[in-house]
Amino acid sequence: MHSVEFKNITKCFGNFTANDNISFGIEKNSVHCILGENGAGKSTLMKILFGIYEPDSGSIKVLDEEVHFRSAHDAIDKKIGMVHQHFMLIDDFTILENVILGNEITDGVKLNFMYTKKILDELVSKYNLGLNINKKISGISISEQQKVEILKLLFRNSEILIFDEPTAVLSPVEVTEFFNIINKFKSDGKTIILITHKLNEVKEISDRVSVLRRGKLVFETENKNNELDIDKLSNAIVGEAILKETMKKNNPDYKKSDALSMNNIFLKKNNVKVLNGLNLVLRKNEIHGICGVEGNGQNEIADVILGLEKDFEGQFKTSVQKISLVPDDRIKKGMIKEYSIGENMILKNSPKSFITLKLLHGISRKVINDYDVRVSDVHASLGSLSGGNQQKVIVAREMGVGNEILIFSHPTRGVDINATLFIHNKIIEQRNNDKAVLLISSDLDELIALSDRLSVLYNGHIIKTFESSDLNSFKEDKLLLEIDTSSNRTLYDEIGKLMIGIKQ
Amino acid sequence: MSKIAKINLISILLSLLSTLIIVSILLLVLNKNPFEIFSLIFSEVFASGYGIGQTLFKATPLIICGCGLAICFHASLFNIGAEGQLNAGSFIIAIVALKFADLPFPMLLVVCMLCGFIVSGIFGLIPAYIKIKKDVSEVITTIMFNFIIFALINYFLLDFFAVKSTMHTEKIPENAMLFKLSDIIPFFQGSSLNASFFIALIIAVLCYILIYKTSFGYKLRAVGFNETASRYIGLKTNKIILIAFFTGAGLTSLAGINFVFGYKGFYEMGFASNVGFTAIAVALLAKNNPVGIIFSSLLFAILDYGGLSINQLVPKELMLVVQGVIILSILAVDRLVNIYFSKQSSLDKIGGIA
Repeated sequence: MHSVEFKNITKCFGNFTANDNISFGIEKNSVHCILGENGAGKSTLMKILFGIYEPDSGSIKVLDEEVHFRSAHDAIDKKIGMVHQHFMLIDDFTILENVILGNEITDGVKLNFMYTKKILDELVSKYNLGLNINKKISGISISEQQKVEILKLLFRNSEILIFDEPTAVLSPVEVTEFFNIINKFKSDGKTIILITHKLNEVKEISDRVSVLRRGKLVFETENKNNELDIDKLSNAIVGEAILKETMKKNNPDYKKSDALSMNNIFLKKNNVKVLNGLNLVLRKNEIHGICGVEGNGQNEIADVILGLEKDFEGQFKTSVQKISLVPDDRIKKGMIKEYSIGENMILKNSPKSFITLKLLHGISRKVINDYDVRVSDVHASLGSLSGGNQQKVIVAREMGVGNEILIFSHPTRGVDINATLFIHNKIIEQRNNDKAVLLISSDLDELIALSDRLSVLYNGHIIKTFESSDLNSFKEDKLLLEIDTSSNRTLYDEIGKLMIGIKQ
Repeated sequence: MSKIAKINLISILLSLLSTLIIVSILLLVLNKNPFEIFSLIFSEVFASGYGIGQTLFKATPLIICGCGLAICFHASLFNIGAEGQLNAGSFIIAIVALKFADLPFPMLLVVCMLCGFIVSGIFGLIPAYIKIKKDVSEVITTIMFNFIIFALINYFLLDFFAVKSTMHTEKIPENAMLFKLSDIIPFFQGSSLNASFFIALIIAVLCYILIYKTSFGYKLRAVGFNETASRYIGLKTNKIILIAFFTGAGLTSLAGINFVFGYKGFYEMGFASNVGFTAIAVALLAKNNPVGIIFSSLLFAILDYGGLSINQLVPKELMLVVQGVIILSILAVDRLVNIYFSKQSSLDKIGGIA
């Protein structure tokens, strides 16, 4: 039986067709992955299913009954639940308070905490969520926050669960844990819809896959016995042969002086130690990868290097004055979203004191051509571009100034495959041009493929650094998407354990 | 025209329209004919050269002060202290003009403007510095500085500089004054309109270029849009905030030129009659665009001068009500228009959320 069935769904925004006559079904009691590049229409389709948008034409059936959602409330009534990419939680409330918000169990006007607590505790233990529901959101990790979102759906008895890029914020161990929860849902008869960019995970978890491209359904396949053909899948996603070649690295020359060294750095923020005796050396002509669960000091390392955080203890040495950053949160830290491409470029490096439209136009055009940015209007605000295009503009700006040290923090998060490869090539190009690159990421494939050395960050210090000899043995000449994780399980396992503080 | 400019224009026109409607309803409730009232205001202004001259005269300090505030507002600094800043600067302008009265005319004016600018600017720097160092909201500090500045002026004026038993300084020599337009164009006969109106126009154009056409202007607005991102992009945000506050506050002092050099020839306590506050509304209505500020200043000047004529029919305080309704309308309509357009533009950027 289909738990959801899309029939000829079309949704236009102005001239733009986000969903073009999409029809497919989602089996009950299965994990269904929806893939596609940024802007392919995945989110739009899910928002239609969740009642946020109404389709222009077409119909949706939920459990063989035709539905017309006018708002998310209608969808929730039909036991559909969604975990958004950005969590909708109130920091100062406890987990319990967040979960019941809008769905309170009451005696008259008084909240019945005892009964609610009992239900929640049962759910937590049934699905192994490992949450203490009396903790405040501000005191728990990102992965726990995600579990709170899941708990919310369970509390509302959702049967159809939609996840929008759930693993983007998780470490490998947490991903495994998350997949265990998903499998438990499946065995309970629930239906799970996953939106994701990570093909390895699709192979591992999905039962069925639908690929959208430019608003159309272009590819559908079963994933029997996890024998999915990833090559075929990635071609379907991009619609053309993807840029297969990553750039070759030249041989490093370590006789040159270090670009930067941090020695025994301690930093406190709001009385919490965020950096705990950090030692880090950046060399020219080298990509130094940093992996770790988010919130273990990654952002603080960047802040110290950039000179935005000055109240640290320890030795910090560099001869380089200007440092480039591609930040983890591009909207908050990376750009002025009201400004056009050209206007964002001149903030870093203005060729002239007086800015004319012609000058801006020229700068924008150059970025659009050199970095393959796709826009309909040169003067459009950067905020109106898709995530991948925004990221390309930021990368263009940061590389354009020719700084000797570059920090890339999650450079390909939420970025589609082609843009990811493009950005990876640009990072290697910088390295080959004798620049020192610090690559902070939570994507292990990316880190292992690009890094010359890879450090694992845990609790504000580096607990192990893998030298290039450790990494090279299995990544030589391999393509990013084809890294065969199964044959290198041991390394992945070791890194995964180090990320949560377990040394072997 | 860019999309943002279009949205701004629409919201300005809509807020003016809604003000007109609200005030008309108010007048109907008072059993007055709104049409009659409005036509009275406009005929008072436009019927004579004197009326037009007086209106332009009243618009002059609003334009200058509004431009100063626009620079602060673009950097997201809500400077409420313009009234104090402009009084401090004007006081200094009058005193310097007296002390150096024997300088040749254009020199004297330039020296006075420079001194006034620096003093007002310093009074702007203090709240900016406190904001940067201690993260104290500039709204609080600038408004408190109004009181401090007035107390200081009071002390220095009455104890050292005032003409006996008055609240004003001595008059500067006649030959140092700016020319009145009525001396050249008889059309403006009797009005106080003077050359400082042109100074105001020049300031507006220069501010426009500074804000929208220079690399500093782009950085200034970037800080206003997103200070965190500006810092990470590598802008020296603190320096930009200090410069914005210094320039903005400094500019407000030049509003005093109109009174000191163009009208009375001295500084008088309370001469500005809330120009510093009205200019906030002027800048808001113009969306902090200096060229727009010329027009919004004219509108407020029309209301101010024309309001005198309706005194027999309705209290002239009605004009204060109109000003208040304009501000409320801008805020409300702005929000509505932005919601409407952001719904539309989120449709354009569908790629961003997939």
